[in-house]
Amino acid sequence: MKKILLLLSLIILAGCHNDDDFVEIFPEAEVPVSLQIKGLIGIKLENTIVTDRVAMNVKLPESGKYRIKIRQGITNELISQEMISAEEGDNILKVYVSSLDKSGYMIQLTDEFHNVLGNQSFVVN
Amino acid sequence: MKKILLLLVSVIFTLNSFGQSSIDYSPVNTVTQVGDTLIMKFQYFKSDGGDLTLGQFDFEYNNKLLSYISHTSQAPSGASFARNNWSGYKYIPKADADEDDMDVQFAWWLTGGDSYSTSADWNIERITVQAAAAYTNGGEFVKYSFKIKDKFNSGYSDYSDIIKVNWANYQKSDGEQIQTIKSPSTQSISGIAGGNAGSFVINLKTANTSNYTDYSYTVFDSSGTSVTSGDFDESGQGVIAEGVLENNVTYTAQANLTESATYLDEVVTVSDLALVFAEAIGATDGPTGQMTTFDYFIQDIMGDVVGDSNGVDFQDSYEILAYLQGVDSGNSNLITKLTQTEDYSGIEDTYGALVSDVVTFAKAFTPDSNASVVSIDLAHGLRGDVNFSHSWTPSIESGGKSTSARTTSQRNSVYKSTETANIDLVSEIIDGEIHFSINSDVEEMVGSQFNIVFDPNVIQLENVIFDTGNEMTNFSNIINDGVVRVGSFDLNFEASVKVGTPYKLIFIPLEEISNTSGLISFKVKEGVRQDGTQINFIIQ
Repeated sequence: MKKILLLLSLIILAGCHNDDDFVEIFPEAEVPVSLQIKGLIGIKLENTIVTDRVAMNVKLPESGKYRIKIRQGITNELISQEMISAEEGDNILKVYVSSLDKSGYMIQLTDEFHNVLGNQSFVVN
Repeated sequence: MKKILLLLVSVIFTLNSFGQSSIDYSPVNTVTQVGDTLIMKFQYFKSDGGDLTLGQFDFEYNNKLLSYISHTSQAPSGASFARNNWSGYKYIPKADADEDDMDVQFAWWLTGGDSYSTSADWNIERITVQAAAAYTNGGEFVKYSFKIKDKFNSGYSDYSDIIKVNWANYQKSDGEQIQTIKSPSTQSISGIAGGNAGSFVINLKTANTSNYTDYSYTVFDSSGTSVTSGDFDESGQGVIAEGVLENNVTYTAQANLTESATYLDEVVTVSDLALVFAEAIGATDGPTGQMTTFDYFIQDIMGDVVGDSNGVDFQDSYEILAYLQGVDSGNSNLITKLTQTEDYSGIEDTYGALVSDVVTFAKAFTPDSNASVVSIDLAHGLRGDVNFSHSWTPSIESGGKSTSARTTSQRNSVYKSTETANIDLVSEIIDGEIHFSINSDVEEMVGSQFNIVFDPNVIQLENVIFDTGNEMTNFSNIINDGVVRVGSFDLNFEASVKVGTPYKLIFIPLEEISNTSGLISFKVKEGVRQDGTQINFIIQ
């Protein structure tokens, strides 16, 4: 009986877990080819020329907090930044560009303390 | 024999592993004189490189000798194509590296280092082509058309090295970088005839150097009739064709800025407010009521946003405060904003001069090819832009208050410098909401302002939480769909914006999202100190 109660408690506890706390994690086999990253760490967009939104893979060496930054393509000025809590491995996310000016940009992955882990060029068309 | 074979295999393997492609650029047609159209093609050669599906390259051209006309994509059917351009920049190649090594130069740019510098004579163009199938050997990316400009008065004696490819990003479908060189190293043209004082150039002078093409010019004869008009090009030049203006005839010229540019909402900010408030306070302090905190006489006009021609007073400062707060004061005003501009322009070397106690904007000029009067510099300013963020700062000595004929007792002018400070602006999803935090450790700011841009189709502004201290006047208002202005100002110039997280914007998603990259970006981000010094925030 105790074991059943313990099992039920565990199920209830698991049910209380907030799904929003974590981004969507894909096993390596489910990552689309266009988003696969060969190394252990990096950032990759599905397309380089973007009009509305684009899928992005952020591959991480370990779970934790990271920053995703968007920089202007010439001045290197930071124009957008978010903090994510993500898991080790591939994390499939999105970049929304509708409100950005049509221009060239660099998207950058850093750790919480601004150390650069990867970057990629993209264009809003 | 075995060793020779092994060596051969090694060489072949090495060549295979380090195969190179190239970006070639060359003229399609022959140009012989000023005014001719030069057509340039940019194409891909595979050589022994890999199959290219992403081709991106960046080149610069001399805008004093070439004027951009148009471009035509040569990308294959179904491929994506994009063109970006920036005026007034020049590429700085990677030190100790071959300038022709395009993938090395691309990697250098990608590091985020200082790979571009401002340079008024150069424009940057960037082309991106992304195709599903491999690009064919010799396939073209794009054709550009440029007008050959007169080298007279350009500062250049010939047309050498006028186009140069800076870097190329060639990738295979799996994202692998393809090594790339360029050919030639630079592009020059020769044998250009023509060009004389018959054509006339108007050089626009403004702080708004990224948007020269938003300005137009009009030239009037002595009776006030328009003789010619046109738009400024990407280098800030308006070229009047030969035969339009006559030598030894006096004309006047004026410049105007379009009223539809979205950045007009970024012209008048909390820094202007601080300067106008300080001036309004100073105007009542002196025994004659003439003490001033302005550096230039032209600021008396730019700050008079009510337009009562009575200098700057509290009515002007409250009008700007109401504008920043998004409150309708009920008064009409001349504050520069989207759909409203009040332009001032004049010949640069007398722009804002004080003549008989009146600020002047002289516009007259007289072409004379014999006397080499074949161009003018035309300065431009906007009402409300007291700190010259988008306006030209007068250079004439009599335009400066500290050098004017006024007596010392009538002045209290302090030069307002600009400084920088680091802050952190970051968005994060917390409990299903998007929290956009403005975190600041900057002390002794009497005001600050942020214009935040967001995607109103994906997220909605729910709340703005202020933690600026008890004495600040805070404001937040949506100035356009997807643009919110947030800030604070202490009308007494005594309290400071609290350090920590003075502003937090709460958004709610309108659809399911996992992250917020690109959803929220920043435009205006500045603070101001008690003495009017503007603080430009830098975000790491």
